[in-house]
Amino acid sequence: MESCAQTKKYAAKDYKSDLKPIWCPGCGDYTVLNAITRALAELALPPEEVAVVSGIGCSSRIPAYTSVYGFHGVHGRALPVATGLKLARPELTVLVTGGDGDGFSIGGNHFLHACRRNVDLTYIVMDNQVYGMTKGQASPTTAPDWEGSKLTPEGTGINPFQPLVVGLASGANFVARVSSSDPVNMAKIIVEAIRHPGFSLVQVLSPCVTFRPEQAEWRDIVRTAVVDVTDDAARAARRLMTDDGFNVGKVLYKGSRPPFRPEFENTNGSVAELEARFAL
Amino acid sequence: MSDSTSKSVAIATVPELLAHALAMETEAAERYGELAVQMEIHRKTAVAAIFRRLESAEKKHLAEITEMCRNVELPHYAPWDFKWTGAESPEAIDTGRVHYQLSVREAILLAYEHERKAAEFYAGVAESAQAADVKEMARQFAAEEQEHIGWLEAWLAKCGPADAIATEDPDPPMSQE
Amino acid sequence: MTVQSVSLVIAGSGGAGVVTAGSLLLEAAAKAGWYALMSRSSGPQIRGGEAAAMLRFATEPIMSHDDSFHLLMAIDWENIGRFSAEIPLVEASLIVGDPTHGPAPVALLSGKPREAALAMTDIAGRIENGRPNMVALGAIAAMIGLPAEAMQAVVEQHLKRKGQAAIDASMAAFHAGIAAAADLPAIPKLPAVGATSGPRWSITGNEATGLGVIRGGVRFVAAYPITPATEVLEWLAPSLAKVGGVLVQAEDELASINQIIGASYGGVPAMTATSGPGLSLMIESLGLAVAAEVPLVVVDVMRVGPSTGIATKSEQSDLNIAVYGLHGDAPHIVVAANSVADCLFTTQWAVHLAEAMQTPTLVLTDQAMGQARAIVPRPAELAFIGQRLVATAAPAAIEGERYKRYAVTASGVSPMAIPGTAGLTHTADGLEHNEFGTPSSQASDHQAQMDKRSRKLTQFNYGDHWADIEDAEVGAGDTAIITWGSSTGPAREALRRFSDAGGKARLISVRLIAPVQPEKMAAALKGITRAVVVEQSHSGQFYRMLRAFYDLPKDTRSLHQAGPLAFGPNRILEQLNAWSS
Repeated sequence: MESCAQTKKYAAKDYKSDLKPIWCPGCGDYTVLNAITRALAELALPPEEVAVVSGIGCSSRIPAYTSVYGFHGVHGRALPVATGLKLARPELTVLVTGGDGDGFSIGGNHFLHACRRNVDLTYIVMDNQVYGMTKGQASPTTAPDWEGSKLTPEGTGINPFQPLVVGLASGANFVARVSSSDPVNMAKIIVEAIRHPGFSLVQVLSPCVTFRPEQAEWRDIVRTAVVDVTDDAARAARRLMTDDGFNVGKVLYKGSRPPFRPEFENTNGSVAELEARFAL
Repeated sequence: MSDSTSKSVAIATVPELLAHALAMETEAAERYGELAVQMEIHRKTAVAAIFRRLESAEKKHLAEITEMCRNVELPHYAPWDFKWTGAESPEAIDTGRVHYQLSVREAILLAYEHERKAAEFYAGVAESAQAADVKEMARQFAAEEQEHIGWLEAWLAKCGPADAIATEDPDPPMSQE
Repeated sequence: MTVQSVSLVIAGSGGAGVVTAGSLLLEAAAKAGWYALMSRSSGPQIRGGEAAAMLRFATEPIMSHDDSFHLLMAIDWENIGRFSAEIPLVEASLIVGDPTHGPAPVALLSGKPREAALAMTDIAGRIENGRPNMVALGAIAAMIGLPAEAMQAVVEQHLKRKGQAAIDASMAAFHAGIAAAADLPAIPKLPAVGATSGPRWSITGNEATGLGVIRGGVRFVAAYPITPATEVLEWLAPSLAKVGGVLVQAEDELASINQIIGASYGGVPAMTATSGPGLSLMIESLGLAVAAEVPLVVVDVMRVGPSTGIATKSEQSDLNIAVYGLHGDAPHIVVAANSVADCLFTTQWAVHLAEAMQTPTLVLTDQAMGQARAIVPRPAELAFIGQRLVATAAPAAIEGERYKRYAVTASGVSPMAIPGTAGLTHTADGLEHNEFGTPSSQASDHQAQMDKRSRKLTQFNYGDHWADIEDAEVGAGDTAIITWGSSTGPAREALRRFSDAGGKARLISVRLIAPVQPEKMAAALKGITRAVVVEQSHSGQFYRMLRAFYDLPKDTRSLHQAGPLAFGPNRILEQLNAWSS
């Protein structure tokens, strides 16, 4: 080592682009961006070998704020884009970022099947229980009695979606919940999620300071989960179904299901063989 | 998840201390820069200017530390392996505690809080370290942090009533994508 | 000279084995050196429903069915009346039924065809394990002049696994059918051709579609099953694996289109196949591929719409959604295959176009050609291979400039960096963006990017492939048939019949639907004073599109009808003759 600058191959800021985020000051997503870039630096992944894919929403702006390859698609479809990319280019590290509306409402079906398919992806969902980009409507994770939206002034009256429980039931291979108020630990868990083979689901409690200002209290409410990681999905699901959503900071489940990875067979040049089957 | 600054800090060697100092100053400079950008983008120029000045000061610190690190083989720490006493490096303002309507006074207070944490961190190292060279260096770093604390105290003293007022935005939030 | 051909239908209910019988007949015809076309119609049941195999045999290549059938061989009459509209029978036609099942349903008799009886059940019953469908095949073979040895070879091939006894039983029934045919009225016989016809393939449109994309370089396919496109995907699954590609079954069409966007963004040429309902779901993401400039191919094997429509039957009614369905101004490419064999050419070309212009390309085929099997001359080798303009690391990095993914270039095509390439990282975006890919809501960026996305399509040299143009006599005549897709087959045959009778006309079958080619069309229409536009849609979608974008002859008529009934050549010929007389 010649000097201190070489102690690490990459610094967190090497993974940030020059583009300035347009998130509101105080938004939890800033922390997630920092955690992702710290995680990538710690993994020392060359930026060109990483891709971040997203749909639409505040948190889906993340790809453009990174210096890795990014794809910012349409609302709700980040997971299939990432699936296609990872299956076509298995050597890339592929992350998916987005929010609760993008992932669990319009993209809900893809979420189920991404968990089932278990492609080696890391899905980081910034859950703020609200649609921020469209001025604050109830999302699938919003409490039924939240009356803050003009669209549902009496509340939605619908029970919130439980992403981690649904993820476990659908076959996600790694499940964690973290708080944006705990950035360094978040980075650690993202590193674990990236390293763990298969579909890794990381739910981030990421407050919306503009449309859900009361979520500023989350930092005081959250507590480090007292349970240890399990490889028993049923057990993990039971814990999650009985908690209040604020047990954070831990990997809750790690499965051992092998990831879905159809191999590109190395048999070039046999188009003629296919054609021969049609010849009379 | 609350910070605790009273823990004793187990740093045994100069390279370990330098690795911490380097990380702390790097993150402080970057964080003040990020916060300045956030405030500039949202046209909070007075608050942005505070963060810009602090960024500039931290960059100076960072340059000094970087110079001290030259030809020193530093141990590698994962972000979560540093011996910080809180969730992040002490000098980096928690982005979640910033908000759109931050007043100048609040911004100074936030910075003040974190600069003090930085000083306390070094003081803690100085107190708990066994090696004389570590103690000496940590004391020196703590003293340098005092300089920033002094500035912030002076800025606070200069704050008028207007600086304590949260800046209002009469317009409603905009709809995007 | 008009095609020497014979057309027949084998029909029956579940268990009668008409689809198998049709396939055996087609294979035997192939061995006899003939050309052939076979399509199928069936009831709504998954198993056991009524079915009909429609076949046409000829001694030279054919691309459509005839106006009517020479023979309807009905193994039984169960619900066969439902197919009456699809099985035009005339006075010269012959219906052969099994007396065991009673008389032919009146629905089939409106054209006053001849009727005859063949006691298939009884004859088969006298042979151990004999089946009526093999008796029917024997009779058909004898009636149309198909050599028995050809069928022997096919049956042996098919029943090899079931053992010699099964082969013997089938052939005994087959020969009993040949013997019984002696008592049946005659229908046209084809001459045996043997080895004199050139190299031929037996292929379906859906298989040709799969082969075309593989030839074009596609190595990633996302699949969601939908009738009548499923066979494209089913053929591709094992075939792709053989050439180092991958097929993934997606959870829905929203996923399949986005998976191929992801794969193609990753640098691997990608496609999916679907039908109308699936295409409708994919539309938003096709717009994404336009904006983010991601090359990909989507094949729409059209079926009768709207909504679920008639899933198993053909219509050319997805033209509008393919051309206009995307929101915003979204320049993209739409091409259409015009025969079973052309599915190969057109899809291979589509991959080439998509890759060269970094844009989504829709290929329109339809159920009629997709699910039809044809014996065709061996398709030509084509030089089209998807070739993407790829950015490599060096230049931008040296100049210290940031890579511009959406650089405004003269051609409109910007070098595309593939993930893994150092120094060229960027974010591809469906939001309007500047040259770097950074989201932008500025009018100037929108204008520049719109211009470039449009320019790359309009400036591209599509060569002569934009249309198939056929003249009765090159440059002669003042009458044109303008058509596309499956309607090209009967139009070709109408043109042929017209010229056999001394008429002079021109056929223009448009393969490149969008972007439109007004200059090329003007050249193609030189000397033409009247035209008939032929298509299978209720509203005349193609005619309206031509009217919007092209200078057409003053006397241009629209000949359109809804699916699933296809035009017979004579419907088109009537219009040409009406003008001539």
